[in-house]
Amino acid sequence: MKKSWLWLASMLLVLALFLAACGDSDEEEQEQDDTEDTEQQDDTEETEGDSGPAQGGTFTYAIASGPTGPLDVNFYGSSSEAEVNQFVQESLIDYDENLEPIPYIADWESEDNINYTFTFQEGVKWHNGDELTVHDWVLALETLAHPDYTGPRWTNVADIVGAVEYRDGEADSISGINVISDYEIEIEFVEAKVNNLVNLWTYPMNTTVYGDMEVADMEEDALIRNEIIGTGPFTMKNYREGEYYELEKFEDYWQGEPNLDGLVVQVVPNDSVIGALESGQVDFVSIAPRLAEQAGEVEGVSVVTAPGLSYYYVGFRLGYYDHEENVIAGQYDKFQNKLLRQAMWYALDREPWVEEFFGGYGEVINAPVPPAHWIAADPADLNPYEYDPERAMELLDEAGYIDVNDDGWREDPDGNEFTIEFSHYDTGDPAFETRAQAFVQNWQDVGLNATVNMVEVGLYYDTLEESDPTDAPDFELFFGGWSTGVDPDPSGLWTSDALWNYPRFLNEESDQLLADALNVDIVGTDEDEQKANRQQIYTEWQQLINDEAPMLIITALDAVYAKQDRIKGFTIDVNGWNNPSEWYIEAEDQE
Amino acid sequence: MIKYILRRLLGMIPMLLLISIVVFSLALAMPGDPFGGEIDPTNTDPEYIERMREEAGLNDPIPEQYVRWITNFVQGDFGKSVKYRYDVKDLILDRLPNTVFLGIMSLIITYIVAFSMGMYAGRKPYTKMDHLIGGFNYFGLAVPSYIAGIVAIYFFSFKLGWIPYTGSVGVGLEPGTLEYWISRFHHVLVPAIILGLMSTASYTQFLRNDIIENSRKDFVRTARAKGTSESKIYNSHILRNSIIPLVTFLGFDLVNLISGAVITEAIFNYPGLGTLLLDSVQSRDYAVVMTIVMFSSLLVLVGNLLADILYGIVDPRIRLE
Repeated sequence: MKKSWLWLASMLLVLALFLAACGDSDEEEQEQDDTEDTEQQDDTEETEGDSGPAQGGTFTYAIASGPTGPLDVNFYGSSSEAEVNQFVQESLIDYDENLEPIPYIADWESEDNINYTFTFQEGVKWHNGDELTVHDWVLALETLAHPDYTGPRWTNVADIVGAVEYRDGEADSISGINVISDYEIEIEFVEAKVNNLVNLWTYPMNTTVYGDMEVADMEEDALIRNEIIGTGPFTMKNYREGEYYELEKFEDYWQGEPNLDGLVVQVVPNDSVIGALESGQVDFVSIAPRLAEQAGEVEGVSVVTAPGLSYYYVGFRLGYYDHEENVIAGQYDKFQNKLLRQAMWYALDREPWVEEFFGGYGEVINAPVPPAHWIAADPADLNPYEYDPERAMELLDEAGYIDVNDDGWREDPDGNEFTIEFSHYDTGDPAFETRAQAFVQNWQDVGLNATVNMVEVGLYYDTLEESDPTDAPDFELFFGGWSTGVDPDPSGLWTSDALWNYPRFLNEESDQLLADALNVDIVGTDEDEQKANRQQIYTEWQQLINDEAPMLIITALDAVYAKQDRIKGFTIDVNGWNNPSEWYIEAEDQE
Repeated sequence: MIKYILRRLLGMIPMLLLISIVVFSLALAMPGDPFGGEIDPTNTDPEYIERMREEAGLNDPIPEQYVRWITNFVQGDFGKSVKYRYDVKDLILDRLPNTVFLGIMSLIITYIVAFSMGMYAGRKPYTKMDHLIGGFNYFGLAVPSYIAGIVAIYFFSFKLGWIPYTGSVGVGLEPGTLEYWISRFHHVLVPAIILGLMSTASYTQFLRNDIIENSRKDFVRTARAKGTSESKIYNSHILRNSIIPLVTFLGFDLVNLISGAVITEAIFNYPGLGTLLLDSVQSRDYAVVMTIVMFSSLLVLVGNLLADILYGIVDPRIRLE
């Protein structure tokens, strides 16, 4: 270590000598992370002469667990693989700070939400020197639709006309893909869905490298597993599987040559992260909210946050699911009373809970949509369920949950003992039981006889997915979290035929609203009109969930990072950070 | 002797078969499966998960799964890892050199340190130095290796910057170069010391006590009476006798190295079989877990056999029938 440190230091020293001193580069200016004006920004910075960002230096990005499966974006399965491929491979389209799609390498046009015409930028280079064309994209789409394809992305091509026939081996190509020229392509979808575009797979695959490879062999090929190529700002230089991935800047990057010389993605166990930040061995790391305070105290390190796309909730198990028919087959009686559910929401003191267990890095919300998303309802349109034990008790009285035998706990309206068991997953983290206990305490305070049930995490999710049509569910009240993507459609988690509708929430109005928001006949095809209509429908849906309370939504979670102050040119929003090619290290800090 | 070894080897077969049943049932008894757990709904869909379950044969009856697994296993096909999307055999072969390297380094360090300390302490018992060595050893026995590991990382890596805290080799070194091997040694040194801490302590004390005991025996008195030099008495007459019980430990050491490596590797994020086993248990990657556990069991049996054979070789009084 000492040796390599010395080597690194001397290399950086030499570099620093060669480089012009760096002036003040205005970070505020870069706050606006529109990729369209990235190029302009780069230009202005360069015309400003020697006050441009310093060049050179190596950046170390720490991840907690190493990639396991194939790194290639078309095949990867877990988020740790994405931690590496995000620097190497790029999507054709991007998303803005409200998660609306914006043109990037490709621009698109569509009149009817069925036929889309995509136009590629010319001159975008692959790492091997090839120019990116629509043929590379066709290869990716055909790979995903291939019968031998083993990755999880089939749904992202399934809606293209002819994809099913191609997958079944009845066709040699996907008929809905029509190549017009090297830079223009038409894609036809089976039906007019508003989310056709955001659902579509928008990553290309290099035809010279992968064109002749059998799809069945790809998954185990080194060129897919580790030695991936893309059009991104960094190229794969060297790696040790599960240890580190050494990336080198791509000089012909279409957005301009990156400022950094290289970037190392290194696996650093959670226990070592704070120490590694202190010693400066790690420049940037995604960090658990409860470690954030400790990280922020390290000299030269600051905590950076962005609104995240995940939320936590307490769910009621309202019914059970038929795994054969894929429908909710019946409902349990226990929590059918809406007033009871609302009362339990009022009883929760959520602000201090987020402060205590997530270091305050979360926003208390009242509908199952992260507030950063463009479909999020205006908070004024929702019942805020502010902590109000008095109101909770009133509602319980009104609903007939009254203590009739003076044991200190409320009985149900029929006078029977009423107990609530709150299930929480157990990973061995002692904080989990404490945070579950905090909620149980809240419910006990309003007279509900609640207890905690900690369940081993593997068993927990198994039980949550299964359900027997017995008298009582295994979990009647459970803790959970979901992360949502750029696609605003929550159908996969909420419709009555969705396996992951864990509360087994059965509500025709909800199903109808979710279907309407995707129905082109209702929301129209004009872009602005469609957006306004969808926002309206999703707001109504959030109001419905907010009122029905099948889940007590707790908080949206921020994405929290710790970053060395010497890293400049860095901005972050809900869609992630700005283009890594813009990051730089101050010349005087490179030693 | 050969008859004995053959008999023992044949006896292993039913034992391994029983172990395989236990390993298989324990693996399947773990709640959940590799496709469950925390689902990222933006990255997958129920249909895909169901397809993968079907493909992995998890929906078949359990006896059928067992027969398929054991038949393939015997033929050298250990299955495919669900998490790594890779052949278990290749996966293990990738990681094995790291663990073997760690194990051998640990053994070498243990033997060197234990022998020098044990011989010194045995020769000069009840002196200050002996007490110091004894104190150090009991401390080594008492401190769990995960504590020792974390403390070592904190001081030597973060405070002093002497050692790396993660990985098996420095970033960007070409395999085969001198720098590469220096970096490998550098990465493995502290984990190897920590891994060998416990056996170092017990070896030292064992050796010391044995030397003290032997030094009171008749043959030592005879040697002294003949005028043999002290160093010859200790280094040749006594040591040869005192080594006998230690040599037989070698068999058990093989096993200790594998089991101890799970913890040590995890702390130093050293990519060997230990971390692989731990990750696989956490993600219910059955094929990997079962293969590693089966091989560890085999190693225990072989280690025991080795210990017994070594007994016979170093001590002619013991006859293996």
